[in-house]
Amino acid sequence: MGYVTAEAPTRVELATCVQCGLCLPHCPTFRLTGLETASPRGRLMAMSAVLEGFAEVDDVFVEIIDFCLGCRACEAVCPGLTPYGRVLEGARAEIATQHPTPSRRLRRWVLGRALATRGFVSAATAVAAVVQRLGATWILPAAVRRSFTGLRPLAGRERWIGRSAEPVADPLGTAALLAGCVMDPWFSSVHEATVGLLRRAGYRVVVPEAQTCCGALAAHDGHASEARRMARRNVAAFAGFDLIVADAAGCSAHLKEYGHWAGDVGGAMAERVRDVTEVVAELIADGRLPRSELPRGPVAVQDPCHLRHAQRVVEAPRTILRAAGYEPVEIDQDAMCCGAAGTYAILRPDTSLELGRRKADQVRAAGSTVVASANPGCEMQLRSLLGPAYRVAHPVELYWEAVVEMAGRVPAEVDR
Amino acid sequence: MSLQTDLIGLLGTDRVLASGLDRYLYGKDAGVYRGEVTVVALPETTEEVAEIVRIAARHGVPVVPRGAGTGLAGGAVPLGGGVVVATTRMNQIFEIDAANRCAWVGPGVINLDLSRAAEPYGLHFAPDPSSQSACTIGGNVANNSGGPHCLAEGSTVNHVLGLEVVLADGDVLVVGGKAPDPIGLDLRGILVGSEGTLGIVTKALVRLTPNPPDVRTLLITFDSVEDAAATVSGVIAAGLVPAALEMMDQRMTQAVENWLGAGLPTDAAAILLAEVTGDTPAVEAEADVIRAVATEHRAREIRLARDEAERALLWKGRKSAFGAVAQAAPDYYLHDTVVPRTKLVETMREVYEIGERYGLTMMNVFHAGDGNLHPLMMFDASEPGALERVHAAADELVELCVRNGGVLSGEHGIGKEKRDLMHLMFTPVDLDAQARIKEAFDPEGRFNPEKVLPAGSRCFDFGRPIPEGAWI
Repeated sequence: MGYVTAEAPTRVELATCVQCGLCLPHCPTFRLTGLETASPRGRLMAMSAVLEGFAEVDDVFVEIIDFCLGCRACEAVCPGLTPYGRVLEGARAEIATQHPTPSRRLRRWVLGRALATRGFVSAATAVAAVVQRLGATWILPAAVRRSFTGLRPLAGRERWIGRSAEPVADPLGTAALLAGCVMDPWFSSVHEATVGLLRRAGYRVVVPEAQTCCGALAAHDGHASEARRMARRNVAAFAGFDLIVADAAGCSAHLKEYGHWAGDVGGAMAERVRDVTEVVAELIADGRLPRSELPRGPVAVQDPCHLRHAQRVVEAPRTILRAAGYEPVEIDQDAMCCGAAGTYAILRPDTSLELGRRKADQVRAAGSTVVASANPGCEMQLRSLLGPAYRVAHPVELYWEAVVEMAGRVPAEVDR
Repeated sequence: MSLQTDLIGLLGTDRVLASGLDRYLYGKDAGVYRGEVTVVALPETTEEVAEIVRIAARHGVPVVPRGAGTGLAGGAVPLGGGVVVATTRMNQIFEIDAANRCAWVGPGVINLDLSRAAEPYGLHFAPDPSSQSACTIGGNVANNSGGPHCLAEGSTVNHVLGLEVVLADGDVLVVGGKAPDPIGLDLRGILVGSEGTLGIVTKALVRLTPNPPDVRTLLITFDSVEDAAATVSGVIAAGLVPAALEMMDQRMTQAVENWLGAGLPTDAAAILLAEVTGDTPAVEAEADVIRAVATEHRAREIRLARDEAERALLWKGRKSAFGAVAQAAPDYYLHDTVVPRTKLVETMREVYEIGERYGLTMMNVFHAGDGNLHPLMMFDASEPGALERVHAAADELVELCVRNGGVLSGEHGIGKEKRDLMHLMFTPVDLDAQARIKEAFDPEGRFNPEKVLPAGSRCFDFGRPIPEGAWI
């Protein structure tokens, strides 16, 4: 039967793989299993096999594709420029269409609809906050339980969506912030740092009311039409802004791919998207944001895959941490996935845990109790495995603290 | 019981793959050939490998070892079905003996992982194929792999001190060891480079080389391929053996630069990457000699890598070249041949001529220092007749190199690719001698059959008597 949707991996895309195998050692699942079928090259060949009619979208194919974390470490080392992340999403879209299991239908609804609905996220957050406060994690499904323990305290903070804030320096322009599906209710202090820093550098910050979830999780899981709908809504919501900032690496990576999800207008928007770490690092380099002279000791740097591999942003978080007075400590020269990988932690808890433990060991070996991670999923994974003795935070949060301290006062300029 | 059932009995279901798609994925390496796989087995111990070999013998099927599948000559591609023994899970480093500068490793250890593990001792594994970040020690041993730094250090055979090998009857043979000069017949030299046709390596004792105290890496830009090639001959003629001396032509440089963004000169006809290692005064002096020779041959620019980061970036570019060609066309085919360094200039000219004659884009990246060419021909396999045209051009390339006094293969092995070209190099007596060794190790011909030696290598295949003195 081959492929049936417009999302399918194309012959041109797959032909960019010449099977050189340079991706293999960078693939976490290949490293764990030694299986060709668990390697990027193997997965691409499986996609080709379906395209050429040597194989079907059957259970074997589904397992080969679903075992992939989607970390895209392979893509960053591919000299043939194979668009692995794109064809993976294409293959998943085929699976979602040809193999619509109950779990996949549920995910289509959760990732494609519920996350884009503010009321649903609020209700889920309220329930989660109660569970968290009561310590009643036993009522959660086993697969979710560990990730849940990595959540920050779900305090009843106000949301950023729909707000705007004026600059507190020479005006530089206007920046629009992606509120995100769970960033706003669960990680609002990251937004607080982002908004505070942008204002301090001279940006007026707007968090457009009409925006929705970026659609990354839906896209990665193969729910293409939902992902397209979310992309279109965001393109409209963010129209007219010169700078669009996201402070979750998974979101900024996905927004940068809107050219695929929302056509030419999406492409035009994608060109204006930056991850917060890129923006802040540049503002520090330009002297618009200060450097701290106060040494704060070591910080272990965890590179989110969708920052380092998908966006190739490596130096920016380190620059920011240095400006905060920290001494960045490298934990893994290959920057292998921590196993969180969006929904993977829930769908494949065993593999996720194994990779998470490796990452946690690397952090422990680095000898720092502060860990910087620029993505919420990685943060939860690390916190759940490192325990309360370690502090896991976004680099801009750590930097914002330093900036506030340098100013010698609580930041009155941040109106809440 | 079926072959698959027996293997599952030994390894469990997780380490035996037999679905259609699994077998399809293991049916190919990094080259252009696709083979036929019956079942894939992933052993973790020597005993399991021995048992797999016995099971295969019982069922009368071939056994084909496979490492990371980065080979280009079809060495790991089973031609007539059989058990593919993937050694990727045998990736343990058993011992690093820093004092004796050697290590016992499993065949599935990745080349670069070994060097990383040896780094704290100031040591590394010298053979560094372009695929070193992915390829395995087992594959290096099987193919006697080389790499840029083999110019000064020699290829894998110079770095193997001992081997543990599973033989055709499942017995485990250990040859060599830490003693510098093992007594008896030195079987290591026969096993290294035998491409899985004589046995399966289950452990290797490899030499580790001290990291050089200092290094200089030069990127030299030329306006003609001839000038670059003449510089290579000139450097060697000046009495230098640089640690590495690599050439890339313009198309190749453009593809690599497009991916890497290392600031490589994309308008240059050719670039040379030259590296010298040793004590600081020595590397300074050698770098000066290279600069002088290059300048004499109209080098346009000579850039010295400022630091380790820039040096690493330049090498990353060189070692990613094969993958980068995917930007130019969906398929590529390359030949790994050798010519004497003194013939580089005219051979390169003829290489491009062959490309033109067959209407094939030719890209070149190679170990110029030892005359080891890698002409890559770009094509689209889905285009009817393209592959045949490529093979015809490829055969002509090999003939050209042999005619110019070179050899069939520099480092990638013979595999299936050059099997039928062996007669260009070897007399019937040579081939018969090799075939008799194969027969001694593998009387039933079940280890990686139809590889390396062409049909009819054995003299009695023609009904002729064995020539006197052909072997022992």
